[in-house]
Amino acid sequence: MIISSLPIWAVDVGGALLMIVFSFLCVYYATELRQRDPQNIVWTYLMWVSLALSVFAISRSVGHIAKQLLIITHHEQVWEQLRPYSGAINTFAFMVVGAVTLFFERTWTIYQTIVRDRRALQKAHNKLVYMNQNLEQIVNERTTALTLSEHKYRRIFEASKDMILSSAKTGNIIDLNPAGFKILGLDPGKSIDGLLLANYFNNPSDWQQLINEINSQGFISSTEIDLRTTDGSRRRVVLSASLEGDGFTSDGIIHFLIKDIEQQRLMRDQIAQADKLASIGELSAGIAHEINNPLGVILGFAQLILRNETQNERLRDDLKTIEKHTRHCKSIVEDLLNFARTSKPEKTLCDVHVIIDDVIHFIQQHAKMSDVHFEKTYDHRIEKLLLDEKKIKQVFINLVMNAKHAIGDKGTIQVTTARNDHKGHVLIKVIDDGRGIEKKNVSRIFDPFFTTKPTGEGTGLGLSVSYGIIKNHGGHIFVQSASGRGTTFTVELPVPNQPSGSEP
Amino acid sequence: MLLRRSIGWSAFMALAIIDPATVWATQTHGGLEGLFVHQFAHIFFAFSMGLLIYWLKKWDLVASAAWRSIQYAALFFIAWNLDAYVSHWLVEQSGLIEVFVVDGMRIHITTPRGMNWLTEIYYLTKLDHLLSVPALIFLFLGLKQLLKSTEETDHLEDISP
Repeated sequence: MIISSLPIWAVDVGGALLMIVFSFLCVYYATELRQRDPQNIVWTYLMWVSLALSVFAISRSVGHIAKQLLIITHHEQVWEQLRPYSGAINTFAFMVVGAVTLFFERTWTIYQTIVRDRRALQKAHNKLVYMNQNLEQIVNERTTALTLSEHKYRRIFEASKDMILSSAKTGNIIDLNPAGFKILGLDPGKSIDGLLLANYFNNPSDWQQLINEINSQGFISSTEIDLRTTDGSRRRVVLSASLEGDGFTSDGIIHFLIKDIEQQRLMRDQIAQADKLASIGELSAGIAHEINNPLGVILGFAQLILRNETQNERLRDDLKTIEKHTRHCKSIVEDLLNFARTSKPEKTLCDVHVIIDDVIHFIQQHAKMSDVHFEKTYDHRIEKLLLDEKKIKQVFINLVMNAKHAIGDKGTIQVTTARNDHKGHVLIKVIDDGRGIEKKNVSRIFDPFFTTKPTGEGTGLGLSVSYGIIKNHGGHIFVQSASGRGTTFTVELPVPNQPSGSEP
Repeated sequence: MLLRRSIGWSAFMALAIIDPATVWATQTHGGLEGLFVHQFAHIFFAFSMGLLIYWLKKWDLVASAAWRSIQYAALFFIAWNLDAYVSHWLVEQSGLIEVFVVDGMRIHITTPRGMNWLTEIYYLTKLDHLLSVPALIFLFLGLKQLLKSTEETDHLEDISP
């Protein structure tokens, strides 16, 4: 079949020219890319591909153009001589493109690694440059943040009502907040250098036990212990502590948070005391009530027989002895009933200062008080109170006589009154500078029949009766005492317009 | 036994020196080998382009327009290599087609009886520039876009802190 070769010729020659043009453009762009980043191995790959293709394009296109021209001009034999060279170069160019492309995967992987490393390096470099340029500002910002944070935690440290303390493992106090100074009874301006926390533990074995526990587990949580303050008084506290660091280094710092629960402890003790006295009172009332009637019968019959017996003096003496001891028994039973608050007080408006003056006057008249000095400090804002005068007098006689007994022949008894408008009650204190009450006895002094006096000198009912009377008036009675340091009895009575109404 | 083996080796070495062809020494190359190498080169070129497409897709490089253009270039190169292979095979290997130049702008193509359709196939394969030129254009476009994106990246890096 004979056909026109013009389309083939046109496509061949035109295509050959276009191939040369575009292959050169490819080389140009690949070179541009490589010049921008000579280290980029992907651009190197593309440059090699472009170069090989341009060689192929030149070889093939020049060959094809030459072929067409030589054929048209009937110089086929010349083309036959050139043909192997053109074909060989074309083959070589294919091989180069193929071979280079085979390594494209490795090339790309290496390039990605380089890019990643370069970015990391650039990021680090940028950060360094930024830090270098803004170091002062960064330091200022960080310092401000640190100052604010320090201020915040310092405020917590300063304002806390609980003791915050840091100490070395040896017990040397390193830091102590104002609440700690107050709880330990230290002068706020006092230096803490050389102070040992262990010295403030009431029981030295508590400190050793605490250190052992912290050493073993690194912390201690909510443990109740007694501290001894600078003035020697005892304070019950709840203590939590933790060791800074890993707990095994010898120079660790222990951080303590210590809460003063002395008031809670006192309240707890008072509630327990009130419960105990209430139980005893109930028991006493039952017994006294049962004994009171037979005693009345014995006393009545003894008096009846005594009235009719006029002859036998010996019998009369025996009957008088029975009458005397029966009356004594009745008196004790009445005291028990008073303690148990079975009889309702007959309250009238009374001036408590007049009652106290009467009591002191009465005692000064009847007891040897020449070397006992009375100091009275009255709050004259106190108005008349609703009191059973007779029974309240009995309370103050008991308290003053106890104070007299505590100080012996010589000493001072202070009686103070104060009105607490906020709580709506009146406080009357009887203070002596006597020998005080031993710690073991403080919790028992309101118990019926408890006395420290020698046998026969007291029944042990005075304070029990006083306790019952004050409770019957809706008030409270407390004692504060330390052996050798005097005793203070505090009577709290409600003012009439604000009755406490909280009688237990 | 040892003597017999020694005689055998000595005879082989003597033959190798006197007549190397008999012992299959340096091989001579006939005219067809060049054609085979050229054909293998086409296959190798097409295979490497296929591999390039595979890697471009695997790394999701084709998401960018530049590498997508390079992928199209590779596709056209594969098509061109197949075209060239078939063209070479028809004229130079198969013996099915003979082409004679009649005059400047006409050619005479002879095919076996009943296989005239080979004329159209041959004619189309001779228009191979319709594949190779687009391949180079796509490669050119890809490189141009890569250069542009590089310039943009450089610009962004310049203005970044």
